[in-house]
Amino acid sequence: MHILLIEDDPRVADHVAKGMREAGHIVTIARDGREGLLRAAADPFDVIVLDRMLPHVDGLRILQTIRATGDVTPVLILSALGDVDERIKGLRAGGDDYLPKPFALSELVARVEGLGRRGPAIAEVTELKSGDLVIDLLGRSVTRGGQRIDVTQREFRILEYLVRSAGRVVTRSMLLEHVWDYNFDPQTNIIDQHVSRLRQKLDRGFDVPVIETVRGTGYVVRPAT
Amino acid sequence: MKQLFASLSFRLALTYAGLFVGSLLLLVGAYYTMVVRVPLRQAEQVVQREAAQLANIYIVDGEAALVTRLRARDAAVDRYKAFHAFVDRKGRVVTANLPSWPRAVFQGWGRIEADTSVDGDEHDFEALALDRRFDDGARLIIGRDVDNISEREQALASGASVVAVVALLLALLGGLLMSRAIGRRVDRVAATARDVMAGDMSKRVSIDGSGDEFDRLAETLNAMLQRIEHSMEAVRRVSDSVAHEMRTPLARLRASLEDAAAGQGDVADALAEADRLTTIFDAVLRIARLDTGSREIALGEVDLTALLDDVADFYRPAAEERGILLTSFIQSGLFLRCDRDLVFQAAANLLDNAIKYSPNGGEVVLYGQEETAALLIAVQDTGPGVPDSDLPHIAERFYRAHKGAAPGVGLGLSLVETVARLHHSALAFRNIDGGFRVDWRFPA
Repeated sequence: MHILLIEDDPRVADHVAKGMREAGHIVTIARDGREGLLRAAADPFDVIVLDRMLPHVDGLRILQTIRATGDVTPVLILSALGDVDERIKGLRAGGDDYLPKPFALSELVARVEGLGRRGPAIAEVTELKSGDLVIDLLGRSVTRGGQRIDVTQREFRILEYLVRSAGRVVTRSMLLEHVWDYNFDPQTNIIDQHVSRLRQKLDRGFDVPVIETVRGTGYVVRPAT
Repeated sequence: MKQLFASLSFRLALTYAGLFVGSLLLLVGAYYTMVVRVPLRQAEQVVQREAAQLANIYIVDGEAALVTRLRARDAAVDRYKAFHAFVDRKGRVVTANLPSWPRAVFQGWGRIEADTSVDGDEHDFEALALDRRFDDGARLIIGRDVDNISEREQALASGASVVAVVALLLALLGGLLMSRAIGRRVDRVAATARDVMAGDMSKRVSIDGSGDEFDRLAETLNAMLQRIEHSMEAVRRVSDSVAHEMRTPLARLRASLEDAAAGQGDVADALAEADRLTTIFDAVLRIARLDTGSREIALGEVDLTALLDDVADFYRPAAEERGILLTSFIQSGLFLRCDRDLVFQAAANLLDNAIKYSPNGGEVVLYGQEETAALLIAVQDTGPGVPDSDLPHIAERFYRAHKGAAPGVGLGLSLVETVARLHHSALAFRNIDGGFRVDWRFPA
């Protein structure tokens, strides 16, 4: 993927660029808002990573300018303002995702990849697959190797989100945001326990796990083929 | 001078004086009409009628009849003493009781001095008179005494001017005193504001207990100052405790990094410390923003039954992992006007604590029920509870009941307490037999 990083702090910019390149992406760095706007207009990017605190200007202004030109490139906002209100402001301004500083590099990479490969939504999908796992979205049932597996509603939503993101790492906070409909901050890592319970149900009697753990980052489900 | 006019007190005093003098003049005018103008008009009517009658008598019955009539009129005792003077066509004075009159005939009404001495006593008279010259050259002056009316007129004129001057002075003085009193109270408010600006947040506007507009203004201002002081105090407390509580994780972070630099420790320790610092920072900031009111609560009608079910659902795996039995008694159809995210977060914190402090194999119960005058959310555990002496302090920032016994930074209950306060709801902590219980009541 080709990623435009608009970030004025050279250390953060280099750190992020290095991580992205290691993950196999091409990164263009813009050091301020003006340069960022010029770059965004000049080349097509898959994802734009935008720091909110830029010298002399709020990154949200840059975002609004980009959106005003009809550019719909997915934008992830990085911000030292991590509050729920600020997050909502960022998403309202046209952002697609919002990550407060400080962040783990792996979290940023996972989210950027999530944004980049988010294709156009296909409404007609009624079934999701990963290996021998089949999720029936209409009947809200899960089968593995033809065997029906009982999951709770919440577990169903976790699994659906993971399988929809198959091949990409999903972090714990991404799960929290997409599966639980509350803006909150669990003080302990409860998400792991939900996944581990789901995992027990899915893998009973099978050798290959459906959900793999990516150490220190989150989870991944293998793509269907 | 300009400053004097700019002062509200001065303008008030002036307005007051103007109104006062204006109403006084109106009063004097009414009195003048009553005691001077109306009697004068009556006297005029009488004289006019008499003059017309007497003129007729002269023309019809002749000079002798007129003289007889005039003498009879003079002799009659009347309210207003009668005056007359008749001069025949040859210029002889036939009869007169006026001491003197103008040589030339006067047109319309005249006022003639008619002081008379009766038995040596001087009497002041003033005649309101009509003068008439007949075609044959005879002249008849008919009048009535209006001296008492004139006297009243003069007395009123001189009296009114004195009263006007005195009243103006009194009004100015009264207005000045009145506005000075207002000005002084305004100045007191200003002085308090200056003290507060100079840094003395504890200063309050004095209230004199009269309950008037100024007292109400002072009460409002004092409430505002109280709120500001509270906010500043909250910010100060946060920065104090942050500075204090951040040092330990920072020191540990530094130690881990030093070990890693020396090629001994694991960098993962340092990362964990950094995450912990971020968590503390986020939690402190969230509470502070709620406390100072910079994040407004978003009230909405919330399905509390569903919300509490979700909270229980969220913590069930964590409880089961430790063999803790998590049960919930949540009535169906509970609705509450509240901030959904905040109440979820607070309820989650309560459940998190209960599970954290319960021993393996313990029991945690979440209640949601309607009482007669309140909605109750309660969490009960089988943990060790809190020393009774600590109960008042457990919601304070960074308080931890059993340091080291469970992970945490001591901010969970602070947030619950803040959320409860923002919802005007009551939070009660108590040790129960074999456990600990939190009751959170939202008044209906």
